[in-house]
Amino acid sequence: MRAPLAALLLLLPTCASLQAVDFNHQVVPLLRKHCGECHTGNKLKGGFSMNDRNTLLHGSENGPVIDPKNPAASLLLKVVTTDDKDTRMPPKGERLSAEEVAVLRQWIADGTPWEPGFAFKAPAYDPPLKPRTVPLPQPTPGRENPVDRLVDSYLAKNQIPTPATVDDGAFLRRAHLDLIGLLPTPEEFTAFTSDQRPDKRQRLITSLLARDVDYAEHWLTFWNDLLRNDYGGTGFITGGRKQISAWLYSALVQNIPYNQFATELLNPPTDQSRGFIDGIKWRGNVSAGQTVEIQFAQSLGQSFLGINLKCASCHDSFIDRWKLDESYGLAAVYAEKPLEIHRCDKPVGRTASAAWLFPELGRIDPAAPRPERLKQLAALMTHPDNGRFTRTIVNRLWHRLMGRGLVHPLDAMQSEPWNADLLDFLADDFQKHGYNLRHTLALIASSQAYAAPTEVVSDQSGPYTFRGPRARRLTAEQFVDALWHISHSGPAKVDAPILRGKADPATIDAARSRISAAWIWGDSAAAGKIPPSGEKILLRTTWKLDAPPSSGTAVLTCDNAFTLYINNKRVAESPQWEQLTSVPLHDKLQKGDNQIVVAVSNAGSSPNPAGLFLYAEASLTNGSRASLSSNSSWEFSPSTLKGNEARLGKLPDDWKPATEVPALAPWSAAISSQGPSLLAQAAAGAHLPPRAALMKADFFMRSLGRPNRDQIVSMRPAELTTLEAIDLSNGEVLFSALNKGAQQLTARPWKDSAELVHWIYAQTLARKPTTDELTAALDALGREKPAPAAVADLLWAILMQPEFQYVR
Amino acid sequence: MHPTLDPTAPSSIVRRDFLKQLAAAAAAAWATGEPRIAWAGDSKFTHPAAKADACILLWMGGGMAAPDTFDPKRYLPFEKGLEVSRMLSTFPAIPTAVDGLRICEGLENIASVMDRATLIRSAVQPDLGSILHSRHQYHWHTGYVPPQTVACPHIGSWLAKVLGPRNPVMPAFINVGQRLEGVGESEELKAFTTAGFFGSEFAPMNLPQPEEAAQSVRPPKGMDAGRFANRDRLFRSLADKNPNRDRMSDHQHQSLLRSMDNAYRLLNSPERDAFDIALEPKESYAKYDTGRFGRGCLLARRLVEAGARFVEVTTEYVPFLHWDTHNSGHETLARLHKEIDQPIATLVRDLETRGLLDRTLVIIASEFSRDALMEGKPGSNANDQTTFKVDRIEEMKHYGLHRHFTGGTSVVLFGGGVKKGHVHGQTADERPLVAIKDPVSISDLHATLMTAMGVSPKTEFTVEGRPFYVTEDGKGKAVDAVFA
Repeated sequence: MRAPLAALLLLLPTCASLQAVDFNHQVVPLLRKHCGECHTGNKLKGGFSMNDRNTLLHGSENGPVIDPKNPAASLLLKVVTTDDKDTRMPPKGERLSAEEVAVLRQWIADGTPWEPGFAFKAPAYDPPLKPRTVPLPQPTPGRENPVDRLVDSYLAKNQIPTPATVDDGAFLRRAHLDLIGLLPTPEEFTAFTSDQRPDKRQRLITSLLARDVDYAEHWLTFWNDLLRNDYGGTGFITGGRKQISAWLYSALVQNIPYNQFATELLNPPTDQSRGFIDGIKWRGNVSAGQTVEIQFAQSLGQSFLGINLKCASCHDSFIDRWKLDESYGLAAVYAEKPLEIHRCDKPVGRTASAAWLFPELGRIDPAAPRPERLKQLAALMTHPDNGRFTRTIVNRLWHRLMGRGLVHPLDAMQSEPWNADLLDFLADDFQKHGYNLRHTLALIASSQAYAAPTEVVSDQSGPYTFRGPRARRLTAEQFVDALWHISHSGPAKVDAPILRGKADPATIDAARSRISAAWIWGDSAAAGKIPPSGEKILLRTTWKLDAPPSSGTAVLTCDNAFTLYINNKRVAESPQWEQLTSVPLHDKLQKGDNQIVVAVSNAGSSPNPAGLFLYAEASLTNGSRASLSSNSSWEFSPSTLKGNEARLGKLPDDWKPATEVPALAPWSAAISSQGPSLLAQAAAGAHLPPRAALMKADFFMRSLGRPNRDQIVSMRPAELTTLEAIDLSNGEVLFSALNKGAQQLTARPWKDSAELVHWIYAQTLARKPTTDELTAALDALGREKPAPAAVADLLWAILMQPEFQYVR
Repeated sequence: MHPTLDPTAPSSIVRRDFLKQLAAAAAAAWATGEPRIAWAGDSKFTHPAAKADACILLWMGGGMAAPDTFDPKRYLPFEKGLEVSRMLSTFPAIPTAVDGLRICEGLENIASVMDRATLIRSAVQPDLGSILHSRHQYHWHTGYVPPQTVACPHIGSWLAKVLGPRNPVMPAFINVGQRLEGVGESEELKAFTTAGFFGSEFAPMNLPQPEEAAQSVRPPKGMDAGRFANRDRLFRSLADKNPNRDRMSDHQHQSLLRSMDNAYRLLNSPERDAFDIALEPKESYAKYDTGRFGRGCLLARRLVEAGARFVEVTTEYVPFLHWDTHNSGHETLARLHKEIDQPIATLVRDLETRGLLDRTLVIIASEFSRDALMEGKPGSNANDQTTFKVDRIEEMKHYGLHRHFTGGTSVVLFGGGVKKGHVHGQTADERPLVAIKDPVSISDLHATLMTAMGVSPKTEFTVEGRPFYVTEDGKGKAVDAVFA
């Protein structure tokens, strides 16, 4: 019941008046007949609802519709009586009769009395904002996981039988694919199924989540979709878009807390994580709903809060509570200039004032400079009382592991969850465990609910009830990773401009002994001389490689600043010599001569020491290694480059040998403290097999559902389409990969064909073939030495099975 | 040719009878030649009666200069010192099969079939500030100016979604001639060569090389028909024997098996011969064989004969190539005229001979026109993207229409219920060559196309809770004057 006292007071005048309008019998039918279709329930045409008295009085995007001081001048009366085609209400169909208008006029004059508690349609669900600690029901023995305690209570209430548990093979495959994106190997299958320890599933989950690199290289797909990051695509070509790949990769490997993760995206401490808020700057004019400021509001609303501000960035939303001014308020947090509010691309004559969507958590100072506003925004987003932030992410994790969100669809977090206790518990628990993503994944994956057989869904029309996880379609990346693994057919190097892997202490120690180079400068640093302040010169060398690199890195720094060009492209720059820079090289070097040019500059107000230090090493695809060090074999030129362009222009021709400079103590200290770990990181990634998440999208991955990342994607298509099936049936990529894999498999010493079939089933489906399946497979392969073509076709026939293409 | 396998060979995979019924119903609809409205929505709009069942879009990617093709203006031949401001066309006008209608020299074959055409000379595009091909192409192909907050479907995908395939075996939307990898701006091309939020069921089947189209509906290279059939049999057999067969009623499993089934059916159907232009009689093949575009026209004709719904054939957009003439415009267009003239005319005549032209809408269009002086439209502050600025032409390479012009563009329509030998709209005879009569926006052009195909311009789908229309905001109005 809403404010009964106030409602009672409002009803008083009607009781006092003999001419009183009967709300229930006169007003309600009238409003329902003429206005109900567009302005009740969850319909908010023109941003206006009269579903209940509050929303009626709240008004429309044109302001209040009821004027209590001057009832006759109320907008509501104007629009139902006007002859103006553009503003009349209802816009089409029968007008209100003179009697009906008289009823309305009287009703408004009476103070718009309303039946207490009445709403035209049931009030929409109002999602809570703050976190909530959920008391856990008593557990059933053996089902103590908090998720199970809540799910079991739900099942009991809904009279749904407790689901069974899948067998070890299915569980193993499920956990591998869900947590690290890879199929278990036949060896892992054997080890797991023969393991007799009762807690082996828990151990499996723990060990999978401890595989930092595999975990990161799987979840990269999820985050790239959600933060619309990619390694190529619209916008990159014109420099209107920046990657956050290196930052994201490292954040996932390190498993930084999610509140810190969001903070670094919203208020970037360095340029590495800036790409998310900067969005895509398109060339030419764009509509008001797609400026970078509005993109900022839309992106962070969707990614972090599951709020769709796309409607409300053009006009007050018809489908949820968000208003145009709120979208612009959020956009103004980012805006560097006054941001004029546009409604459907036309200015409304107001300027947006920076504001946060949930003022009950705190406010952003619109007068503060931008860095401060972004800082305040990040603090409000990650505010301990912002339960929307935690609910949104745990719901996404639940969806990845269970096939359907607790709130679904995921980006409509205003909708009612099917189990609010479970959502609130997970969000609260996530926060209490330091916003640790892997903790929540482990918690869900350890539940019996996760281990239940996937639900068979044949009719989706009714309301959702939880009966077990739903099958998850393999992502394009999971499919391709599986294919590369089975067929040994992956690319030699990855596209992502990142240093893969994670260094351990032993490799750091090993790197310490390798890193060696001289500090160099031009002839202004020759014996007895000190380089002038502000001097700018070029240093260069040529690095000849016998084969293309599969991995590699350069570690460099320059007192005071450098810009590094490799093969004419600008690849790195830094104005801080105290901080070493490491540059991935696998995507920048080629077989043969590689031109390395470093534009360096000295600072200060009087002559002072200057020097460049560069050490690089690479693993080549022919198995050999190569390294490069700055030393006196380099050349320098006193000329400078024009401007600061992404590509190296024409080089001067006045080159002379570079001068080696004695290292200053702080220089050496910087190298020895930072160099080895940077180098080791690169070495650690050198021998990792390729992962599809690190590749640019190709046709094959696109045809398996990898999206263009121009827009944020939180759920990919769940079904295989005919065009995709055609690609899988006759596409060159799959066919040649399977042939290659079959060649390798047949070359191995199998006891007999049955052993090979068992291996294939273990590798692809994590189970043994049934007798029938084995017979069919052997009929196709032949019992003796199978031909590669027959093996390729068996692999294809299995890869096309629903059991393979879904995580179930 | 591979022996045709029996696609209805008994198998117990899943709801086979249901699938057969579905296929039979679709085949029946196909036989009557009526579009199958796959989705009609609620009562907010009604689909008009279709005038055409199929559509071929002949795409002149890169900006086809109207004054050098279908809207000739004052022609001045090249001479050293020619004043650019006096020159409007670099080709003289020639007569056509329609009295008083003239188009540019080099298009003699098309001129001979203009009595089957409606020529719109007043198509206009918005000035997007920086006149970029990719954004205008996106706009033309989806009806929406990028960027958008949702991935917009290509108009071919709209037709695939709303009408479905004409022949259930054939992909509804086939895209011929555009490479999407290894060419400049390929990411931008991919952004609109997509079914967007409709999902890949309605995406284009991309056939960049018409000569290799047959391969896309054949078993993989190196696999003969017998092995292909055996492999499929093994797949079905393993699906039947799967111990988790009870899961097969799951809608995801069903849809996977159905898609595999559809793919196998196409790969074994007689219709797949339509993809093989090498099967075309030599004499007929030769008429189309002016290059990749010409062979694409031949492929399009064969695909439409076999029941394709929407086929786009492009001269291919590659930055600074083909219609994207930033220099040597005249010489490049002389070559392009040759490339398109005979194939387009042959396509129109072939469709007519086969009795298909009346129900097939053929469209020649481009993202914008070109002019020798003006970038964008009058009053534009768009960046001029020419690499040179001259008042007088001294070199042949500067002779041509090298700026992007959005104020007046030609679109040609054949068949599909449009008037024959009709001209709609008009551009000025002096620079700026803007549409001065009956301008047609992209929304209205799309509304015309959709109306011809029997799709209401107000057709809408709900995406992320918002209505999304086939023409922007449902406001496109068909140009009724072009319909017979």
